[in-house]
Amino acid sequence: MEFLVCVKQVPDDSVEIHLNPETSTPDLSQADPEAGAFDTYAEELAVRFIEENEGSVTVVSVGTEDNKTCIKNSIAVGASSGYVVADEGTDCLDSAQVADLLAAAAAKIEEQEGKKFDIILCGKESTDAIGGQVGPLLAEKLNLPLVENAVEITSVDGGISVKQETDTGFMMYEIATPAVVTISKPDYDPRYPTIRSKMAARKAKIPTLSLSDLGITDLASEAKISSLGFEEPKKRQAGIKINETEAEEAVKKAMDQMIADKAL
Amino acid sequence: MKYLVYVELKNGKPSGAALELLSAAKKAGADAAAVLAESGCEDAAAETAKFASEVIILDDVITDPNGRPTEDFLTAALAKLAADEGADGVLLSAAPFNRNIAPRIASRMGVGCVTDVIGLTVEGGTVVFTRPSYGGTVLEKQSAADNKVVATIRSGSFDAPEEGAACEPVHKSVAVDDADLKAKITEFIAEAGEVVNLEDADVIVAGGRGMGSEEGFKLVEDLANELGAVVGASRPAIESGWVGRTHQVGQSGKIVAPKLYIACGISGAMQHVSGMMDSGYIVAINKDEDAPIFQIADVGIVGDVHKILPLMIDAVKAHKAQ
Repeated sequence: MEFLVCVKQVPDDSVEIHLNPETSTPDLSQADPEAGAFDTYAEELAVRFIEENEGSVTVVSVGTEDNKTCIKNSIAVGASSGYVVADEGTDCLDSAQVADLLAAAAAKIEEQEGKKFDIILCGKESTDAIGGQVGPLLAEKLNLPLVENAVEITSVDGGISVKQETDTGFMMYEIATPAVVTISKPDYDPRYPTIRSKMAARKAKIPTLSLSDLGITDLASEAKISSLGFEEPKKRQAGIKINETEAEEAVKKAMDQMIADKAL
Repeated sequence: MKYLVYVELKNGKPSGAALELLSAAKKAGADAAAVLAESGCEDAAAETAKFASEVIILDDVITDPNGRPTEDFLTAALAKLAADEGADGVLLSAAPFNRNIAPRIASRMGVGCVTDVIGLTVEGGTVVFTRPSYGGTVLEKQSAADNKVVATIRSGSFDAPEEGAACEPVHKSVAVDDADLKAKITEFIAEAGEVVNLEDADVIVAGGRGMGSEEGFKLVEDLANELGAVVGASRPAIESGWVGRTHQVGQSGKIVAPKLYIACGISGAMQHVSGMMDSGYIVAINKDEDAPIFQIADVGIVGDVHKILPLMIDAVKAHKAQ
C-alpha cells in the first residue's frame, strides 16, 4: 500500500499558549514547532503497516520552508519522502482551502513519483486549532471513501478494514482504496528516531511545491470562514484552599464549606 | 435565515445538547427546523416539537448496527435536506459522530464549517462564533461568509429552549445514492462496561494519576456511588488502564459542566481543565500544594487522596443520614 500522510506543524502542545497582550494574538514564542500529535500517530500507523505488508510512506505538509524540519523528523521515523506545500502569500487559509491544496499536492506527487496513493491519512485533529476538518474535507474534495477516528487499519481483499473509535466502542468498516482515513490515538506510541536515521534524514531532499507547481493561480475559492480575532477565556476565581496536617480536620472544613455553599 | 438543527437521541429522548441548539439558532436570529433520523424516534420528535416551530422526521434512514444513521448516510441526507428546505446552515451538537460529519455536510452545501462552538453573538448582522483553540487557553472568534455555516456546538454552551406551542412533526425522505454510501460497516464491537453519561451528569467524581493504582481508583468509584455521581477520569488514569476511556474528561474526552465536580489526584493540566472548567462548583484534592487545579477550585484540599477520600465518603454518608 502507498500511504500519503498529511502532517501539520503546530506549536509544542505541552506549552500553554496565551495571548500576547500587545498584539492580542497567540504567543507561540515559547513553543517549539513540531508535528501534531495525531499526525505522528498516523505516521506510526502507516509505517507499521508497510513494515508488515509492503509499500511506502510519503508525508506532505502545508506551510513554510520551516516545515522541512518536521518532515525530516518524519523521514527519520520511516517515511521515504516528504514535500512542503508553500502557502506563502496565502493569508489565513480556512480548512477547506488547506484540503484543496493537499488534494492538488497528492495529484502532483503521484505524477512526480509515478505512483498512486492507496491510503491518505490525516490526524483526526490538530492540537492548535483543533478543528478536525481537513481530513473529512479532503475525502469530500477527492470523492473518496472515508473513515474517521481510526485506531487500526488492516489489509482485506479489494481494500482495507478500518477500526473506528466511537463513544461506546469500535465500529468496523470495510472500504475500497484509494481512501482517506483520519487517525485517533492507537494503543501504542510513535517510535523515536535513532541517531543513524536522524543523520540520514538530515540529508534528505524535501521538495517545495509552490502554488504554481500545483497549477493553482488563485486559490479556488475565497475563504468561507474568517478569523475575527482572539480572546482569553474568563478566568475562574479560586475559592478556599484547605491545608491541614490532620486529614479529619481538612475533610470537616471542606464538607462544612460545601454544605454552606449548597454544593451538596 | 433558516438553520436545520440535528437532534440525536439519548436513551430514547432528544439529547439535551441537541435541544440547546434551538436556543443557539434563536440567538443567531435564524428560524430552526429540528431534524430527527433515528429508528423509533416518534416520541422524541413529539418531545422536540414542544420547543421547535418545525420538526422533521427523516424516513428511509440507513442505519448502523446500533440503529443510528451511518455517517455516510447522514452526511448525504442532511446536505440534501438543507437544499430541499432552503436552509442556510446546519447546527449539530459537538458529539464525536457529529464532528465527523459536520465538515462533510458543509462541503456538500458549499459553505464553511465551525467546530466546537461555545458561544455566539450577532454583530452588525454577522453571526460571530466563539470556539476554543490551543487546548482551551485561547478563544478564537470566527464568522462564516453570508452566515451560511455548518456548526457543531458544545453541550452546556446555551440554555435549554423554552417550551412553546407544540408543532406537528412531519415525515420527509431524501434520495441518497449508492455513490454516497462508500464505507461499509461490518460490525460494532461494544466496549465492556456500562454506558457512561458524563455530559448529562449533575455530579462527577473524577480521578487522575494521583490515585496511584487500579485499586486506588476504586476510592473515586466509591465516592461517586455515595453521591449518585458519574465517574470521570483524566488521561493518565485512562492510559494506566485503571478505568475505561469512555470516562475521559478533557480535550480528547468529554467536555462536561456538572453542578459539582470533584477532582481527585488530578493536577489540572490544560488538557483536562478545558473539559471541566465550566462546572458549577469544583472541589479538588491533591497532595501538591501548587497543583494548577487549585487555581480553579472553589474548595481545594491539600492532602493525600488515599487518606482524604475514605473520610469524605464517611462524611457524605453522615450528611445524607441527617
